[in-house]
Amino acid sequence: MQHQPVQHKPLVKRKPSAGVIWKVIGALLLLIIAACSITIDNVAIPGSIKSGDVLPITLNVTITTNQTQTSNFMTAVLVPKVWKVAQNATITFTSDITSGDQAMTVIPAGTPAPQGGGMDWPTLLATKIGNGGNLLPDYEWVAFYSNASYSVDANATIHATVSIKIKTSPDNLMFKLGFCVANSTDGLSSSDRYATAFPGCFQAIGTGDPIDFCNPQISTVDPRASLDNDIITLTFDGGVQSTALDNASQVYLCIAGITDTGDSLSVCTQTDATRMTSLGLNKWQKDIWPRKLFNLTDNQHLTGLRYFFTDANGNNKVGYAGGASPFLYTFKCQ
Amino acid sequence: MKKIFLLPILCSLAFVACKPELLVTPSEPTKGLSGSWQIIKATRNGTDLTTRFDFSRFRINFTDSSYTIDSLVPFIVSRNGKWSFDDPTFPFSLSFQPTDSSARTSPLQYPVTGGQRNLIISFSPGCSLNTYQYTLQKAN
Repeated sequence: MQHQPVQHKPLVKRKPSAGVIWKVIGALLLLIIAACSITIDNVAIPGSIKSGDVLPITLNVTITTNQTQTSNFMTAVLVPKVWKVAQNATITFTSDITSGDQAMTVIPAGTPAPQGGGMDWPTLLATKIGNGGNLLPDYEWVAFYSNASYSVDANATIHATVSIKIKTSPDNLMFKLGFCVANSTDGLSSSDRYATAFPGCFQAIGTGDPIDFCNPQISTVDPRASLDNDIITLTFDGGVQSTALDNASQVYLCIAGITDTGDSLSVCTQTDATRMTSLGLNKWQKDIWPRKLFNLTDNQHLTGLRYFFTDANGNNKVGYAGGASPFLYTFKCQ
Repeated sequence: MKKIFLLPILCSLAFVACKPELLVTPSEPTKGLSGSWQIIKATRNGTDLTTRFDFSRFRINFTDSSYTIDSLVPFIVSRNGKWSFDDPTFPFSLSFQPTDSSARTSPLQYPVTGGQRNLIISFSPGCSLNTYQYTLQKAN
């Protein structure tokens, strides 16, 4: 049996190494930085308005600082594209450190966001914060900067009240609005440097086809705003509810184009031109170019579509809400 | 003694050898589009449609100043006509003038990718809210 020699460390008081000192300093700096925060305390927004009216929204924001900084205040809204918020919204705010309404202006698309890796504000917001749970792709983030920049003291708590007024479009839609506040120095660099709020599904009650961003739809059309010379994408999602096409191995489009003279041009045979592509999980998709599909002459223009989905025989047909009425789509560009 | 004879000969050769250098400023060649081009990539509002829609038979045939289109798809123009660059040396936009309708102009990118010249144009064939970007390459 061998005895291993035991080494005794000398009991000498050692000085902390440079690495340890830097780690302590780093941790202290992190604590200081982490102490800065911004929150949206509440959002005041009506549950619905009449389409075309001005939608008033109020955000109550609290900013806590732990270092002096001079920045512009940023507010961004997640909205349906069809509202054209860059042209149809005004945003102002009041705060503890300012006097009177402070104006804000749209940040032009393409302007790089601070610490955004070259992305502009709309792209950065969509990448980092997302789409707020909206199920149709026709949404956008629109960002505004305060016209002035503001110096804030260290260890200050500032309350701001942001007033957003959006002139809505006449569209009949349901949308999950989103809001983000930040500043022009930190951008979205870390989660404590910005705040978001998503108050739920909002409804603008108007006329025309309903555009529902909030709830899964058995059929959607992309883009929502299009004319007959666009390529439009029709989808059928058999997973939303049980339909006569639950067991269909192939799904076809049965579609009619309505011309501006009131004629109905029907394409309802099961061919390659109407066969949909499977996306899996009973979801199907078809991209059509209406001018070619309906062989329109130069003088013919479509105002809308009526369509069903069928199986390979055309015997089982599914319409709006899974029923016998056709899905409707209106061509428009606003 | 031999060196004394060689020296004038070498000197005279040196004078003959020296010529003023002719400096030529490099010039950028004018860009041309002549040939048949096909769509290799197509997006609508950023969504890639290349494999979802049949662009395969579309061809646009450029000559020095004219173009013709075969197997039309949604495009910046739908009729044959004339074309022009804003600047043939450094083009940043490409204009199409169909024979029976008004001119349409697209911003132009003209990069070389994988040894092939690409032509990237953006336009709205239908609703102006929808932007399509097509990347074209010379068809074989």
